[in-house]
Amino acid sequence: EEEEGPLRKKSSCFPHIASSQGMEPGQGELTPAFSLAGEWQGKMEEEKAYSPHGVFAHLEMLEARAHEADMKEEEAKQQEEKLARLKARVQELTLQRDELQAKVDLQQKRQLEKEGVASDPAQPSAQAVLEWKIKRVKAMLQVFCLTGISGKLTKQGVCFCISTAYEGTCLDSYYLDLLTKPEVRILRHSIPIFIPLEQLAKKYLQTDIRRFLSVLSNHLNAYAARKYQADQLQEHFSDQIEGTLQTNSLCNLLVFNYNVPNKSKTFPFNVRLLYGDLCSSIPTKAPASLAEMAAAHSDLFCHVALHKAFRSFSDAGQSAAGAP
Amino acid sequence: MDTSICQVYEDKIQSLEEEIKLLAEKYEDSQQESTFFSDEEILMSKKSFEREFWRESQGCESPSDLKAQLESLETDLSFLMKFTGIQFTSHFKKTMEKTRNRTVQKHRLSGNCHSLSFQLEFQLLEMQNKENVSVVVSDLSITMESGEDSDVSKFVSSIEEHGNLLAFFRSLSSYAEWYEHRRCTFLHFKAKYPDIVTLPEGLLGDYIILRNSKHSGFELMVVWKIHIDEEGRTTPLLDLLTKVPEQVLEWKMATTENAPTGFRSMLLLFGIEAAIENLIKVVSLEK
Repeated sequence: EEEEGPLRKKSSCFPHIASSQGMEPGQGELTPAFSLAGEWQGKMEEEKAYSPHGVFAHLEMLEARAHEADMKEEEAKQQEEKLARLKARVQELTLQRDELQAKVDLQQKRQLEKEGVASDPAQPSAQAVLEWKIKRVKAMLQVFCLTGISGKLTKQGVCFCISTAYEGTCLDSYYLDLLTKPEVRILRHSIPIFIPLEQLAKKYLQTDIRRFLSVLSNHLNAYAARKYQADQLQEHFSDQIEGTLQTNSLCNLLVFNYNVPNKSKTFPFNVRLLYGDLCSSIPTKAPASLAEMAAAHSDLFCHVALHKAFRSFSDAGQSAAGAP
Repeated sequence: MDTSICQVYEDKIQSLEEEIKLLAEKYEDSQQESTFFSDEEILMSKKSFEREFWRESQGCESPSDLKAQLESLETDLSFLMKFTGIQFTSHFKKTMEKTRNRTVQKHRLSGNCHSLSFQLEFQLLEMQNKENVSVVVSDLSITMESGEDSDVSKFVSSIEEHGNLLAFFRSLSSYAEWYEHRRCTFLHFKAKYPDIVTLPEGLLGDYIILRNSKHSGFELMVVWKIHIDEEGRTTPLLDLLTKVPEQVLEWKMATTENAPTGFRSMLLLFGIEAAIENLIKVVSLEK
């Protein structure tokens, strides 16, 4: 391959020099090409001015073919080598796996025999003890995430991690990098823009960081819980919901339609849930207004002509939609 | 043809490598979980590591940062414990199941939040989906010292039912903070007015008695309960009970009858400390 590049360059730039050299690598393949020689000669005579180019082009082609054959051979060889390498690796790994499996089995057996505590008989090195302790502290720090607030000290302050959950399911975590000197300041954070972080910071950050984090955590947990509920509804009850569920970014307003089957008919319900308390995952508005609306509608049907009742529904719907 | 054979081997290698990684982790986890070193052993190791460090640094070898790493992790942990008021005194973890996309761990955790102690047991299921990891707490069981309190036990069983560990800690923190606040307030008044204030149930009790030694029989009892509902919301509840001897009763009837109502409005106006302080002043001036 290394000969190839410079040779070609030479043959195009300096045809005469290349002619003698160019023969060598292609020589083995020349035999079949001789049958073409007559034709070539004819062509060469016709195009006297270009004759050297014709030969060179042919030689070049031969050279390329020879190169291709070489490549194929080389490839096959490489393939074989690769296969051998892979086989060896499989063997090596299988051995390693079996050894490890035996080690794990032995360990389990020993632990069963000793009912738990199975310390190594050999005196552990200081390094092993420290590594053990590091893992232990790390595990405890991980458990701290389950309390809702964890974090680590930084050069200029603290980076807190606020985790959220709905019942037993852990949800997203958010980061809050605080600068503590000369005064407490938020350096960076990953809290969604629609959480009133600035307001909360203004209210509590300078006076009570604990309170600040606790209120912020209430906001984040309520948001996460509302979002989780909406996701669950869509995931598990999509067959009962008509169309799509609409929600705002804070997930404190949900609008969706669903059908209530009753005897052989279904009643379409339009639901608008408003979560007035941003620290709550239970709506403040919907159930009362739903019941009220159903009651109002049946009341209207009993007292007003049907088409007038419906006109008043659509009027009410418009004014409700227009209301903030 | 050849490439497909290679592919078979490559796949095999990948699956073996995964298997080895998993087994190694399993071995490591199990080794970690079944070993125990005392604080003393750890301290010794730190010291011996320091000596090694000395020797190494003199020999111009690069010093290991194992000790520094441990110390920084420990600083983080002690900061968190101090900041949140949640102290973990012991933690045991056992990996029950481990596959490529599923890990089940059993945890046993004991500790205290301010002055309230707790023991927890739970299972942590970690599942690796295509792009995200889901973590679920289950089989949660909580034991608390103040378990006799019916409020607390209702709250705890509601938490256990849903595996709501995070909510437990968040509510426990605010509950324990009120507990701590009450303790400090009682302590403050006992120290400031030792002749008048008595704590029949000690600092952790939920009432104090105000008594003027010159007037035996006349007592005010300030009851301070901390209520926690099933959702974990904490509210302090304060009330005043009076004990007046019969001869006093006749001519002070009106005042003592109105005292509890007065105390409640004082609480709203001045807050807990000032309301109690006022009561104490009234008792000490009583002639």
